[in-house]
Amino acid sequence: MNAVNFLRAAFTGRKLATVGFIWLCLIALAAIAAPLIAPFDPLEIDPVGRLAKPGWPNLFGTDHFGRDTFSRAIYGARMTVIIGVGSVIVALVAGGAIGMLSAYFTRLGHFLMRGVDVLMAFPALLMALVLITLLERSVYNTILVIGIVYATTTARILYGMTLKLKGEVFVDAAICSGAGHNSILFRHILPNLVSPLLVQASFIFAFAQLQAAALDFLGLGLPPEVPSWGNMLSEERIYITRAPWLLIYPGMLIVLSVFSMNLVGDALRDSIDPRFKDDIAGV
Amino acid sequence: MALLEVENLEIAVSSRGKLLPVVQGVSFDVDDNETLGIVGESGCGKSLTSLAIMGLLGGTTVRITGGNIRFDGMDLLTLPEKDRRAIMGNRMAMIFQEPMTSLNPVYRIGDQIIENLRRHKNLSYATARDRAVELLTLVRIPNPGERVDSFPHQVSGGQRQRVMIAMALSCDPKLLIADEPTTALDVTVQKEVLDLMADLQKRMGTAIVLISHDLGVIAETCDKVAVMYRGRVAEAASTADLFAELAHPYTRGLLNSIPFVDRDVEWLEAIPGRVPTLEEDLTGCAFHPRCALATDLCSLTVPDTSQFKPGHAVQCHFPGKVTS
Amino acid sequence: MSEPLLRIADLKTHFRTKGAGLFGEKKVIKAVDGVSFDIAPCEVLSLVGESGCGKSTVGRTLTHLEKATSGEAQFEGRDFLSMTPAEFRPLRREIQMIFQDPFASLNPRLKIEQTLGEPLFIHGLCKTWDEARTKIAAMLETVGMDPKVMARHPHEFSGGQRQRIGIARVMILKPKLVIADEAVSALDVSIQAQVLNLIKKLQRDSGVSMLFISHDLGVVRHISDRVAVMFEGKIVEIGEKHQIFEAPEHDYTRKLLGSIPRVTIGREVT
Repeated sequence: MNAVNFLRAAFTGRKLATVGFIWLCLIALAAIAAPLIAPFDPLEIDPVGRLAKPGWPNLFGTDHFGRDTFSRAIYGARMTVIIGVGSVIVALVAGGAIGMLSAYFTRLGHFLMRGVDVLMAFPALLMALVLITLLERSVYNTILVIGIVYATTTARILYGMTLKLKGEVFVDAAICSGAGHNSILFRHILPNLVSPLLVQASFIFAFAQLQAAALDFLGLGLPPEVPSWGNMLSEERIYITRAPWLLIYPGMLIVLSVFSMNLVGDALRDSIDPRFKDDIAGV
Repeated sequence: MALLEVENLEIAVSSRGKLLPVVQGVSFDVDDNETLGIVGESGCGKSLTSLAIMGLLGGTTVRITGGNIRFDGMDLLTLPEKDRRAIMGNRMAMIFQEPMTSLNPVYRIGDQIIENLRRHKNLSYATARDRAVELLTLVRIPNPGERVDSFPHQVSGGQRQRVMIAMALSCDPKLLIADEPTTALDVTVQKEVLDLMADLQKRMGTAIVLISHDLGVIAETCDKVAVMYRGRVAEAASTADLFAELAHPYTRGLLNSIPFVDRDVEWLEAIPGRVPTLEEDLTGCAFHPRCALATDLCSLTVPDTSQFKPGHAVQCHFPGKVTS
Repeated sequence: MSEPLLRIADLKTHFRTKGAGLFGEKKVIKAVDGVSFDIAPCEVLSLVGESGCGKSTVGRTLTHLEKATSGEAQFEGRDFLSMTPAEFRPLRREIQMIFQDPFASLNPRLKIEQTLGEPLFIHGLCKTWDEARTKIAAMLETVGMDPKVMARHPHEFSGGQRQRIGIARVMILKPKLVIADEAVSALDVSIQAQVLNLIKKLQRDSGVSMLFISHDLGVVRHISDRVAVMFEGKIVEIGEKHQIFEAPEHDYTRKLLGSIPRVTIGREVT
C-alpha cells in the first residue's frame, strides 16, 4: 500500500480524525501565509493599547506590550509547524538509523541499544532541560533537543520492527538472490517501515509541541523574541487574573493541535500493517 | 430425525457495504455413532459451516442469513444465548486445527479441562481433577497424573491435540466437530490421533463431523462424505458409494490431483484455473469455469441437487459424466 | 562415473539455546547431525521426514542462511560451506531456493518486475531495464502467467500464482541446483497439482538438479529420482525411489509409509 492509499484508508469513516486533519491543515496554512493574513506585526508594541480585551480590531486582545495576540498566534503557528516537523525529522533520522542498524547488525546493536536504554531512563522533559542548558536558546537547538529526546523511543520501536522484518521470508529470498546489505536495508526493509514511520511521526509531532511549550514556559526553549504559543503562555502567566484571554487562546491552540495530531496518529495506526500494530507506542 | 440436521444453510460476509454469500444451500445430517466428513479446499466454506453450527460466528461481518440447524430436536438458530452456552462444550464440542493457539498458554492443561467440567457438571475441584486425569488416560497421554499440571508448551503438538480431544469429550458430548484436527500434525501422529478418535467413538457413541482437505483422511475415517466447493455441497454420499463412483467433476478432479504414495503417474491431472474469489460474481455453476464438461447451460443456471443414485446427492447438470 | 554436482559429507548444524534463568544450562539442538549425500546433474533427490527432523535446516545450511557447525559440502568440486559472503555470492546464482510460504516470500512493497529483476541485476545478467523486462516476460510465460502481471504487486495474486512467481524468480537465473523447501506444502490440493506439474516440467526441460524437501510422501514419489529419509537430524535410509517406496528397509520408513491414510477408489483395495 503506498502512502496515498494508506492515508485515504486511514481517514474514511473516522470523522473526528478527519476534523483533526483539517485543523492541522489550517495551522499549516496559517504558518505559511502568516505575513498575508496576520492583521498586525506580531512584534509591534503599543504601550497605550496594552491588555485590551478581545474585540475589534484585536480579535484575541493585546498582551502586556500591546502586541496583537491574534497576529502572534498566527505567527506562533509557524513555530508549531517548524518545531513539529523539525523534531520529527531529527527523531526519525537519528532514531530510525540507530534502531534499524542495531537490529540488522546484531553485535553493533547490542552495544547501541544499551546506550539507548540508558537515555530512555531519563524522563523526556528532564533530558530536554539538561540538553538545552548546555546549548544556547535558539530555534535550531530546541528542535535538536526535542528531536534527540524522541529519537530514543523511535530507535527502540524501529529496532523491534526491523528485527521482525529481518526474519521475514522475502528477506531470506533476497539473500539467496545475492542481495547485499545495502539492497536488503534500503530495498526490502526500509520501504516496509514507511507506514509505521508515518504513524510514529504523527505522535512525535504532537508530543514535540508539548515539550516545546514546556521548555518555553520554563524560559528555556525558544528565544523570547520569537512568537510561539508556549512563549505566549510563559510571558503572560502573571496576567492570568487581569487578562485571562492571553492564556486561554494560546493554551487552546496548543490543546487543539496536540489533540488533532493524536487523533490523526490513532487513525493512521489503526490502518497500519497488522503485524506492526502492537509495536507502535503513543510516545 | 437425525442428531444434527443442517438444512439449506446460508452464510454471508459483509465486505465494503455488500453482503457476499459464502455458504449457500448446504444441507446434511449426522446421526449417533456416525462420522460425516466435509471435504473441500480453501474458500469452500467448510470451516464457516462448522463455526455456524457451534454458534461461533457471532459478529457483524459474518452472519447466518438463512436455513436451519437442528441439534437433538432443538433449533440452534433461535436458541437463547443462555441455553446455547449450556450446550456448548457440554452436549456439543469442537476441536480446532492449531493446538497451540486453541489451548490457553498461561493455564495448565488440567485446569483447562477442569474449567469445562466444573462449568457444565458442577463438580467439586477434586472430583473434576480426578476426571481430568481419567480423560488424559483415555486419550493416551503418558504420565497423565503429572501431565495434568503441565503447561501447553511443555507437551508436543500431537499431545496438545489429544488434550483438546480430552477437553472436548470431557462432558460426554453427543456431537464432536473436528475442524482439520490433524492437518498441523505429522503423518505418524495423525494416524494415532485418528485411531484415537475412532476408538472413542466406538466407546461413547459420539457423532463426529470431521472437516478436512485430505481425501485420504476422509476415506479412512468417515462413514459419509460431503464435498464442498465455493460454498455449496457439490456431492454427498456414503464413503463407499462416493469412492465407488465419483459423480461430480470437481470430486474427480480433486482425486486426480493427489499424488499417491502407491502409484506412479507421469503428470497429475490438475484442475485448471483456481477457485474464484468471494468478490467475483458468478452465474450458473460455481465450478463451470474450470470444468472440462461445461456447457452453456452450466454457465447460466445453478444446478439443482439431484439424486445420482439413492443416497448419493450431486449438484451438477451432468452427474457421472466422465468425458464431454 | 561423472562428478556429482553436489556432495555433502557429514554435515552438522547445531544450534545453541540460551539457558533458562541466569545459570540455566545451555542446550544444544542438533538439527542436522551428520548428513551425507550426493546429487548428480539433472537429478531430483528428495529429503523427506516429519517436523523437526532437520530437512529444512539442511536446505538453509546449503544456502548459507544457517551456519554449518561442521562437515563438508562441495559444489562442482569446490568447498563452499566456509566461503565468505563475498566468495559465495557468485555461487548463489547456481544454487537457488524456492520457499514454502507463497504469502511471505515476496516483498509486498515491490512490483513483481522489481522482485524478478533484482537477481538479474545483482548477477550482471542484464544491464538495462529493457533487457530485464524481456527476460522477465519470457520467464513469466514459462511459468504459466501473463507477462503483464509484472507491473502488479504480490497482494493481487493467489497463493498458487505467487508460488509460480517464486519459481520464476529462481529459474530466471538458470541455476544448476534448486532447493525446494516444502515448495507445495502450503497450497491447496488442486493448485498443488498444477505447481507440481510445473516444477516437474521445468526440471525436465532445463536439466536442473533439485533437492526437494517435503514431508508429503505422495508428492515426493511423484517428483523424485532418489529419496533420503530423515529422522532426528540423520538420514536413516537413502535410495532409488522405487526401492524406498516398494521395499523400504528401515523401520522408520516403513512406519512412515504405513501411517499414510489411503483412498480406495472403485472396488479395488490399494
